[in-house]
Amino acid sequence: MFGEDDAVRSHKGRLDLIGNIVVLFFLVIFARLWYLQIYSGKELYRYSIENTLRKETINAPRGMIFSRNNQLLIHNIPRFDAVIIPQYLKNKKESIKKLGMILKMTPEEINKTLKKNRGQARYRPVVIKKNISRKEVAIIETENFKMPGVMVQTFISREYSDKEIGGHLLGYISEISQAQLPKYRKRDKFNYKLGDFIGQAGLEEQMDLQLRGEDGFEFVRVDARGRVRKNIKGEDLFSEVRNKKSTPGNNLRLTVDRDLQITAYNSLEGKVGSAVAVDVNSGEVLAMVSRPSFDPTQFSRGLTSEYWKSLIENENNPLRDRTIQEHYSPGSTFKTITAIAALEEGIVKKDQVIQCGPTFKLGRRRYHDWKRGGHGPTDVYKSLKRSVDVYFYKIATQLDIDVLADYARKFGLGTKTGVLLPRETSGLIPDREWKKKRFGEEWQLGETLSCSIGQSYILTTPLQLAMAYAAIANGGTLYYPYLIKEIFKNDGEVIQKFSPKEVSKINVSKDTLDAIKKGLYQVVNERKGTAWWYRGVGIRMAGKTGTSQVKSMTSKELFSKCEEMPYRDRHHGIFVGYAPAYDPKIAVAVVVEHGCHGSSAAAPVVRDVITKYMKKYHPELHAKYAEEDKKKMKQFWLEEKARKEQLKKEQDENSEASAGSAQEDT
Amino acid sequence: MRFNAAGLLDIFKRYDFSFFGIATAIFIIGILNLYSATSGSPNMAGLYKTQIVYFCVALFVGMAVSFLGPKNFYRYSYMFYFFNIFLLVVVLFMGHKGMGAQRWLVIGPIRFQPSEVMKMSAVLCLARWWSKHDTDRELGIKELIIPFGISFVPALLIILEPDLGTGLLILLIFFVMAFYRKLKWKTLMIIIAIGTISGALMYKFGLKDYQRRRILTFIDPTADARGSGYNAIQSKIAIGSGQFWGKGWTKSTQASLNYLPENHTDFVFSIFNEEHGFVGAMILISLYIVLFFRFLWLASSVTRLFDAVVAVGLMSIFFWHTFINMGMVMGLMPVVGLPLPLMSYGGSSLVTFGICCGIATSLSNSRNLF
Repeated sequence: MFGEDDAVRSHKGRLDLIGNIVVLFFLVIFARLWYLQIYSGKELYRYSIENTLRKETINAPRGMIFSRNNQLLIHNIPRFDAVIIPQYLKNKKESIKKLGMILKMTPEEINKTLKKNRGQARYRPVVIKKNISRKEVAIIETENFKMPGVMVQTFISREYSDKEIGGHLLGYISEISQAQLPKYRKRDKFNYKLGDFIGQAGLEEQMDLQLRGEDGFEFVRVDARGRVRKNIKGEDLFSEVRNKKSTPGNNLRLTVDRDLQITAYNSLEGKVGSAVAVDVNSGEVLAMVSRPSFDPTQFSRGLTSEYWKSLIENENNPLRDRTIQEHYSPGSTFKTITAIAALEEGIVKKDQVIQCGPTFKLGRRRYHDWKRGGHGPTDVYKSLKRSVDVYFYKIATQLDIDVLADYARKFGLGTKTGVLLPRETSGLIPDREWKKKRFGEEWQLGETLSCSIGQSYILTTPLQLAMAYAAIANGGTLYYPYLIKEIFKNDGEVIQKFSPKEVSKINVSKDTLDAIKKGLYQVVNERKGTAWWYRGVGIRMAGKTGTSQVKSMTSKELFSKCEEMPYRDRHHGIFVGYAPAYDPKIAVAVVVEHGCHGSSAAAPVVRDVITKYMKKYHPELHAKYAEEDKKKMKQFWLEEKARKEQLKKEQDENSEASAGSAQEDT
Repeated sequence: MRFNAAGLLDIFKRYDFSFFGIATAIFIIGILNLYSATSGSPNMAGLYKTQIVYFCVALFVGMAVSFLGPKNFYRYSYMFYFFNIFLLVVVLFMGHKGMGAQRWLVIGPIRFQPSEVMKMSAVLCLARWWSKHDTDRELGIKELIIPFGISFVPALLIILEPDLGTGLLILLIFFVMAFYRKLKWKTLMIIIAIGTISGALMYKFGLKDYQRRRILTFIDPTADARGSGYNAIQSKIAIGSGQFWGKGWTKSTQASLNYLPENHTDFVFSIFNEEHGFVGAMILISLYIVLFFRFLWLASSVTRLFDAVVAVGLMSIFFWHTFINMGMVMGLMPVVGLPLPLMSYGGSSLVTFGICCGIATSLSNSRNLF
């Protein structure tokens, strides 16, 4: 034991040294304290009492969004708020009364606002009135010294050129909510705080990180009453503090054409629905509108409760983007896919004629054609042209649902297109496995029949339909739909360029596609085609009508007039078309909710959009086609006249003949 | 019954109250200061109550430790150390994230930072090693390899969390203890040289952005782009504006305006200085120095080398925290985020210091047993 005791004692020297070092270290602390508190204490005291620094955020201007033709779709416009900083508020009653007089508010209202924000730090400004006029700004600025604590704050309001048009596509920005804070902090690894504006829908949300830019800050010397003071040279301790400039957000140039947006939106006037137009040969989205819509400007200015109420009380849900967030049964527009599958699988030949009566009987159930009398002998062209249900029932009996589903998926149906917009829905292409999983039941042949004409479980979005028809039109290339041509900085430097991207080359023979295209051409351009009356002039459109049943119907209901049914039970009208038929450039899909018919409700919208497109981008072609159409129609009317005369003549002859025979009888 | 009462009296007689006494005195100053520092902002106003609860826990745990025989510290020191290393590894992989670093371990209602306890485990482990090895010679590089490993492994794990301050602190503690255990002067110089070079290398390659920024800010506040130089300046203003007598309790202008960030944790000392001035600071610093010298006295009066090395190690835990915290608040060194012992808000650190006092008290009590 003594040995160890010695060991401890032998360390005594080092222990004393450590003691000395401790004292020495604290002498440094002591000296520093002396320097700060005694030597420069007076000056620092003055700083702490008279001058304080206020850190002011400089909001980065949010990036702008341009149309494909460089038209500005979103402006940033400076607006002003009247604010009170409670920390600096002196003579509270008087200041509030004065401010109330300027803003035409009662002191009670102002007090209420102040009370509501009592929880936050006293140096943070409380907004009393938003978006005040320039006159009010001027009065507050001049009266400012009489009302310490009352100030004007500038903010940048984001205003959307075309208001409701394309509201869903552009989206809106609004203050980040308490619930969103943790989620977004994690997602973006960025320390958002309450009061920050973020994109909440559409491109504003999707491209938020690009558009946002980076806020800067500035240290402002303020006196004890919160008034900004100029820096006085020579005595400035704060000169060590650096400010930081804000970095403006990046700008977007879209693939979207503003005129087409306006045309599509206006063409949907009075309807609930949506329209998507895409470039057939690249996947560029040319137009994307949904109605009813909303005005995004209202959101960035701080929503009024009336406006918000009008949005959420509208049973048609204006906030929903019907082009990608809503899915519908594609109805007869899906027959194209069924026809392709049947041709490719060798179930029918393209010229093979099938007898199509008014119904098709499977087991004990009768499947009705939309036309009460049936269509008689039908080949694949006629099946599309006149949308012959029974033709498809018949081929569906030999078409396995898994095979059909495969073809549908090849054309991008039932999966998200991957368009750069938030909350896209995938739609649904059912197959055996899906049904087993979902319902625990086996697939029924009858369901294949319903699916073959695009009813039953099949669901697609308008954007998917547009892309699928674009793929048919361009000979089998499925593109990703894309909205943004390029992202560029304020000085014009391009950061990112987007180019067409293929999802896949669809493995379908040219022969099949040509047959389908011929059928789709006849739908619009031949007498008795379902969209014949909506063919337009000078656009040479091809396409397919569709009717999406909202609820299942008895045969009696099926033939009752759609317009006479209650609004919510009426069918959705769908039309998907492309043009020009044999040199396709643009594909358009339109769904009109409860519009009853694809032809009368949706086809005119497609026609309008394509007409606008042709006039704007291919005027010579448009003129040429118009000329040809005129001739063709002249010819048509001549033929029609001849046909009628012929008919009349036959009738006359018949009656004469019958008269003759009557005579003979007598 | 009679025996027990006599036993209790006996324990009471030779119980060394000095460590807990000084610590409590500092804590009382701390709680008054904390009350003042947090009263300005509504969402922190109740923190001082929580702190009192933490202190009660720390006192209880510390007292409990003080009744353990010093032989236990020796016997379990290695086990303790390796278990703690294990906890550090666990925390690295599945710890609870707070403030951008993975430092917390959550077990039911208890959350604590293994890195806090690691300081003590390292001290005990090093003390055991040095009380059995090389007791008869001065320490050169060769003798330092294993002890350095003992402190470097946990330091590295802690730096990875990342908590640079605590990691380096363990190396500093190791350094003081090695010095006590007769580190050769030549070796000392070499270590300083290596430390400088590896520090420079680490700055260049091993630091996180915010850590590098803090150091840059310290070297040149104007170079700072994010405004942490602003904190340093505000802290300096707070301290200086206290002048000789201070502005008076709860009269701080800097704290109540929320100019000082973290004024309840790392920056308590600047509020204290603002309100109590040079005089107050002298009194507080004196209390700390008395505490340090009590540890050093303990190291000289125990009979076993293990106990002595432990006492020096515990002293250096307190010392480095105090010195570094005061230094960074006054702009003498970069902001590394070490709390001021017994003054800063926080349960983990309070409990750590409570246990330190408990160990010291136990060692002190056992001096007279033989």
